[in-house]
Amino acid sequence: MKIALIGNQNSGKTSLFNLLTGSNQKIGNWPGVTVEKKSGYIKKTEHELIDLPGIYSLSPYTNEEKISRNFLLEEKPDLIINIIDATSIERSLYLTTQLMELDCKIIVALNMCDLLEKKGLTINEEVLSKQLGVDVLKISALKKKGINELVDFINKENFTKKSKQIYEPTIEEAITEVSKNLKTDNKRFISVKLLEQDEDFANKNLNNAKVSKNIKKIEEKYSLDTEQIIASQRYNFVEKVKKACVIESPKKQTITDKLDKVFLNKWLAIPIFVGIMALIYYLSVGIVGTYTVDLVDAGVTWVSDNVSTLLTNWGASDWAISLMCDGMIAGMGAVLTFVPQLIILFICISLLETTGYMSRISFFFDKIFKKFGLSGKSLIPFILGAGCSVPAIMTTRTIEDENEKKATIMLTPFIPCSAKLPIIALFATYFFAHSWLVTASLYLLSIVIIIISAILLRKFIYKGKSNTFISELPEYKLPSFRYVARDVFEKSWSFIKRAGTVILMCSIIIWLLVSFDWTFTYGVDVNDSILADIGNCLAWIFYPVVGEYNWAVTVSAIQGLVAKEQVISSMAVIAGLAEEVTEGALIFSSTGIFGFFNPVSAYAFMVFNLFSAPCFGAIGAMHREFGSAKKTWFAVLFQTGMAWVLAVIINLVGSLIMLL
Amino acid sequence: MQQKLQIGESGHLSDLIIGQKAKVMALHNENKALRRRLLDMGITKDVVISVKKIAPMGDPVDIELRGYELCLRLSDMQNIDVEVIE
Repeated sequence: MKIALIGNQNSGKTSLFNLLTGSNQKIGNWPGVTVEKKSGYIKKTEHELIDLPGIYSLSPYTNEEKISRNFLLEEKPDLIINIIDATSIERSLYLTTQLMELDCKIIVALNMCDLLEKKGLTINEEVLSKQLGVDVLKISALKKKGINELVDFINKENFTKKSKQIYEPTIEEAITEVSKNLKTDNKRFISVKLLEQDEDFANKNLNNAKVSKNIKKIEEKYSLDTEQIIASQRYNFVEKVKKACVIESPKKQTITDKLDKVFLNKWLAIPIFVGIMALIYYLSVGIVGTYTVDLVDAGVTWVSDNVSTLLTNWGASDWAISLMCDGMIAGMGAVLTFVPQLIILFICISLLETTGYMSRISFFFDKIFKKFGLSGKSLIPFILGAGCSVPAIMTTRTIEDENEKKATIMLTPFIPCSAKLPIIALFATYFFAHSWLVTASLYLLSIVIIIISAILLRKFIYKGKSNTFISELPEYKLPSFRYVARDVFEKSWSFIKRAGTVILMCSIIIWLLVSFDWTFTYGVDVNDSILADIGNCLAWIFYPVVGEYNWAVTVSAIQGLVAKEQVISSMAVIAGLAEEVTEGALIFSSTGIFGFFNPVSAYAFMVFNLFSAPCFGAIGAMHREFGSAKKTWFAVLFQTGMAWVLAVIINLVGSLIMLL
Repeated sequence: MQQKLQIGESGHLSDLIIGQKAKVMALHNENKALRRRLLDMGITKDVVISVKKIAPMGDPVDIELRGYELCLRLSDMQNIDVEVIE
């Protein structure tokens, strides 16, 4: 069987999907985590399960909702598991009434039943099942309750589906009359859509005289348009169902409401937000940074020394030892040094997501972002972007307005991602006494630049009025340790894997190009190497940024396209060969090739790397979301241009201040 | 500061203050897709809405209806006519 998982946003579809299929798809506590359909097989069965983006209705509003509707209509699953958030049953059942109109079997899975008691609700699932005419099962995806029963039920393949009268007789008659003339599947569903004058169906030549006649009849009777009447009567039906099966006891103030009194307080909200963000970077770049970097660095040096001794004893040639130590170990070591810091950063981001605080941030920043032509929802990609731009760019799909979305896609890479953090950490720790303050200043700068760019983009390129903001505030939840641990592990592991693959490859290439000259003689002075000549061709670009005509800086910065952390990996390889050292901290030794850096040029160089074109992975993600090579090129050039101008200004102004 | 609406008075959804309850009389949103969305989210004629939370800077607003909560911008709430009942 082909089974589709359908439900509102943040109702727990992906949690259930993971439980049923044993996969590890990303979940979170905010609406819109899933933006693509994903499929897997229910454990120990032949049933294919498809996880679809959350929807509120079969009248899609955003693109990812269209994915869900088109799947249902075109791929015709054999069964729909309609997952319902039991704590907001009324809105959830509205979607159920639409699914019931499709020619497809349905199981209603009543999720979050563990929370009902806390909310003072009791639901009688037998009554609900009778009212809807479909099977209803209680589950809790979080507590893993009712899951086996659900699978057993699916395996029996004996599903109830009784047709139910949802609307008042006038409309039911109209539907019957219209559907008689149809020669398609899903007759009842399409009839309703035709009566609602849904654009997607009205144009498909299904229209006939019966439709317009009936629309006129209905609108005359209720003196409202059909769209409103049908929505109203659906909700009337749902209210009736709810009355029959739900017992509500008087409401207490929930923990969420109490917490929101603080987190959304007029005066406290912004200071708390600033405090939390500062804490994240203080922890990851400040405290942990200083302790761990030296530790890992010492480890890398130890490995490098031992390998060198070992190879010498084995009688290996000079170039082989150099390839291992100055190329491979130095290149990989330079980025691996920062793994502990990234782990802290990933934990913090994961906590923001799972506790439900992230939706609050987008709620209270919406007013400011609206002024700049963005939506509060742009903040979610910006926060996730501190981890990695690729998934962050994908979440822009939840932004309703096309122009707001495009502007957000283009600006998300401006947020310093985890791969840029090593660059910042390396320069900030070496050149400044309070490295975390410098880091904070860069994040602040990135926010300012995003705001300025947003205003420019929305004024000249992605014009149009700011649209709407429709969202929900999820309940605060205690983060699940298992989820956070897995999320952090996956992100950190992918960083480490990159060090062992892409970064390693690049380090070997850089080592080759920097150890040989054009006649392929080994052991030349680095300034005569192939890489130096390549770099010298382009060094003029970076002259205004760092105030030095330097090939090594040039080639390193360009490698940021492969992966941002490759910038420092490349610097470590080049410095090592120039200086006969392997330790990261000695990259900037005064006699070395990067010895010319001072705090001002260091800051300017960080700024260039922060704002310039992101890595190929993120450029690919931008291309997928823009759906156009031209727009992607424009974005990349805009970003790089912006980065260069900023870095040059910082270098000029900074140098002037230093002179005074 | 605008005048607080009294019970029985009509106004826009955006005029309500925290704790007030009102019944929806009509939707005037010109943007058809948005109107559809609001209907789908349960803002239909006669539904009872109360204002639950307001963002620290006064906009957007978290409203409660049909046993759940929804965030909307004031500019979109201006196009929804209501009558205060509590």
